[in-house]
Amino acid sequence: MRVSNKIIFDNVKLNLANITEELNRANMVVATQKRILKLSDDPVGLTQVLSMKSSLSNIEQLSRNISMGKSWLVASESAQTSVQDMVSGAKALCVQMVSANTGAAQRRSAAETVQNTLEEVVSLANTQVNGRYIFAGSKTDAAAFTLNSDNSVTYNGDSNPFTIKIGKDATVEIGGDGQAVFQPSGAGGSDDIFKILKDLKTALQGNDISGIQTAMTNLDTHFDHNSAQIADVGSKMIRMEIKDNVLQDLDIATTERLSKIEDAEITEAIMDLKAKEVAYQAALAACSKVLQLSLVNYM
Amino acid sequence: MSSGIGLVLSIAKDALAAQQYGIYVTGHNIANVNTPGYSRQTAVFEAKKPASFGGVLLGRGVDTTEIVRASDQIIENRVMQQKSSLYCYKEMENYMLAMEGLFNENSDTSLSTMLGEFWNLWHDISNDPSGTAERIALYEHSLLISQQFKSLDSDLLQLNTDLTNAVKAGVGRVNEITAAIANLNNEIAGLEIDASANDLRDQRNVLASELAEYIDMKIFEQSNGTFTIVSAKGVVLVNGNDSYDIELDGSSVKWQGSGGNEVDITDNISNGKLGGWLDMRDEIVAKYKQDLTELASEFIWAVNKQHSQGVGLKGFSSVTGTYAVSDTGEELGTADSGLAYENKISDGSFNLWVYDSSGNAVGSPIAIDADPGGTTLSSLQTAINGVSNVSASITSHNKLKIDAASGYTFAFSDDTSNVLAALGINTFFTGSTAGGMGVNSQIGSDKDYIAAAQIDFTTGAFATGDNTNALAMVDLQYSSMAISEWTYDRINGNTEGTTTATIEEYYHSLVGSLGIKGSSISRSRAFNEVMVNELNTMRESLSSVSLDEEMTQLMQYQHAFAAAAKLISVSDEMLNTLLDVK
Repeated sequence: MRVSNKIIFDNVKLNLANITEELNRANMVVATQKRILKLSDDPVGLTQVLSMKSSLSNIEQLSRNISMGKSWLVASESAQTSVQDMVSGAKALCVQMVSANTGAAQRRSAAETVQNTLEEVVSLANTQVNGRYIFAGSKTDAAAFTLNSDNSVTYNGDSNPFTIKIGKDATVEIGGDGQAVFQPSGAGGSDDIFKILKDLKTALQGNDISGIQTAMTNLDTHFDHNSAQIADVGSKMIRMEIKDNVLQDLDIATTERLSKIEDAEITEAIMDLKAKEVAYQAALAACSKVLQLSLVNYM
Repeated sequence: MSSGIGLVLSIAKDALAAQQYGIYVTGHNIANVNTPGYSRQTAVFEAKKPASFGGVLLGRGVDTTEIVRASDQIIENRVMQQKSSLYCYKEMENYMLAMEGLFNENSDTSLSTMLGEFWNLWHDISNDPSGTAERIALYEHSLLISQQFKSLDSDLLQLNTDLTNAVKAGVGRVNEITAAIANLNNEIAGLEIDASANDLRDQRNVLASELAEYIDMKIFEQSNGTFTIVSAKGVVLVNGNDSYDIELDGSSVKWQGSGGNEVDITDNISNGKLGGWLDMRDEIVAKYKQDLTELASEFIWAVNKQHSQGVGLKGFSSVTGTYAVSDTGEELGTADSGLAYENKISDGSFNLWVYDSSGNAVGSPIAIDADPGGTTLSSLQTAINGVSNVSASITSHNKLKIDAASGYTFAFSDDTSNVLAALGINTFFTGSTAGGMGVNSQIGSDKDYIAAAQIDFTTGAFATGDNTNALAMVDLQYSSMAISEWTYDRINGNTEGTTTATIEEYYHSLVGSLGIKGSSISRSRAFNEVMVNELNTMRESLSSVSLDEEMTQLMQYQHAFAAAAKLISVSDEMLNTLLDVK
């Protein structure tokens, strides 16, 4: 083929432009450590990156939900365990007081202990996490129970347990319907812990042994109910724990996949840059030799 | 003329002239070594017709018959065609880069990240429904999202305007070129009565090649040497001495024939920069702008619909809809109502709860009939006015306004007709397009109206710690909806399809398809670049100047010139010899 001066110049220009572009890209990859610099570099990969980033953001949020839920459950468990301890204490007191050896004066002073227990149980039923009452159903802003002057207790909450989301299709009730926890058969029922304590106090004050005996039975019933409630909270904790672990694994796996698609393999990128650099230098050297040649130099 | 020495002198004179021509042409070639589109020229020599003398045919020397140029119009035309598609893709690639920059997705400020964050903030509200900080964060972030949608929309609009401006400049240049070609046609036809107008033909090819960079075109060479140039849709741009202009009328490109006859060729221009710009403007930018609006519209609706089912931390004392009807007497569920989401309204009802100052609720179901002949804004107003302690009115902008009597508040629940969301009552976002998106100002002025709770449908009671509606809102991020997806085609028209996807999935596939489009354009550009280079090399191999070749030629002519001069001096000596004999 006949090669004119213009062909040589044009080809030199085109090749240098191409190699400069490649060198620039290789340099950008090393500098940003990202394999995908713009949408069109790898559209399919980018779409995956985007959906993985969405998943990650969702996973992080769900983990936050879970840790918040756990703090509620821990508070709920500790409140209920304390109530159970108090119930046991009251029961022990009853055993003492029902004995024929105990006198009316002792029973009257024990009534004061029971009053303290009642107040303590009400205060435990009003446990708060971050200023929210956890046993008030969805009315978390106001105290769940109020102790009236006649020692009766009013429930201010509702029956919609406070629920959080821990997965795409999973929700967990972390707050409680206070009534279901402390008054399972409704206010004034035989297993209403407040009523049991109130009646116990009255019985002790009135030196009423059969009243104390009734209270003992009722305390037992409530104790069983209480155990079931604590077990329920425990199983929820376990469920959250498992979900949390799953989310953490998912988080690690997704982050790893994300990095595989998005990030540049650094050694590979640097090797690539070096190779492009060498090619560029070779091209420059070759061009400068070829462009100097002319018949004019020999005339 | 006499024979003998006279003949030798005559041959020498012609030879000198011929070698000089040769050196002129070589000089011309060397001078134009860097002139774009120049085709090298060669002087054609021929031996003169011999004369019969003394029984033999004596040669009479050399004659310069013509100067030819090394050029092949067929190759020239192929280069032009290929250049036409190269420039089309080059321009598209440039604008695609700008578009990819707009959807800068691989960053933390991308719409995708913002959408994810939006749902997360609803999660936070569901975790603490009465928390003020969570509500403020959600409001501020929602403002950011609507600004992001708006700025994307306006950036795409700007791109559209830029492209139309580019087309305008391109149209101007096309007209200049076609006028210049018509001029050259005229000169070439005049000059070529005698000999080939080499340099003018080169100039004309350069212009034709630049024309190909702008628009589709085909060249037909006439027998008198003029070019007839035909463009998209078969319109004639140049014919002999005449050129026909194209013009930009609004956003369409029109060809202006003789006698005020106009042809719209916008959708037929498929090559050159104009083809690239128009493709970009009418197919790519237009599609993504429309898709973005479809996404925004569905997103706004989904959020508003859920929001209108809920209740904030307190009831309303006054509420004004954000969507206006065009006529208060038209049925709300029909297109005549002028509502943006009229097609979402269906037969059903909603509950209007009125609370007195101590929070006791009285509920009234309001029925909505979406069919023609059904509920109009006026009849809805009348129905609401039937409820005691609230009054409904219609604003001067044809929006519904509900006010509570002093000391009373009201709230809504269980809307099965979607009419509340469609009228913009108790909604979260305003607008129905990417460019018109905003956050309801009622929420802006009092974050308590962010509806995280739902009303108990039997008692009408609601609790500030209730997160039922926030949880339902959170579920929207996982739910697939049918969202329109458009295909824009300049020739076959635009078609609307539907994709079923979540909001984020739709956006990701939108961005992905933009990337795929971009990479396919880049590939086509690279391919055409190689093709043009290949064809150009073919053209240059035939036509362009090689300095080494010209230097050799120069020496050749120089030596021949010296020899011819020697011939004269020899003839001179011969004549002297003869004269000395006397």
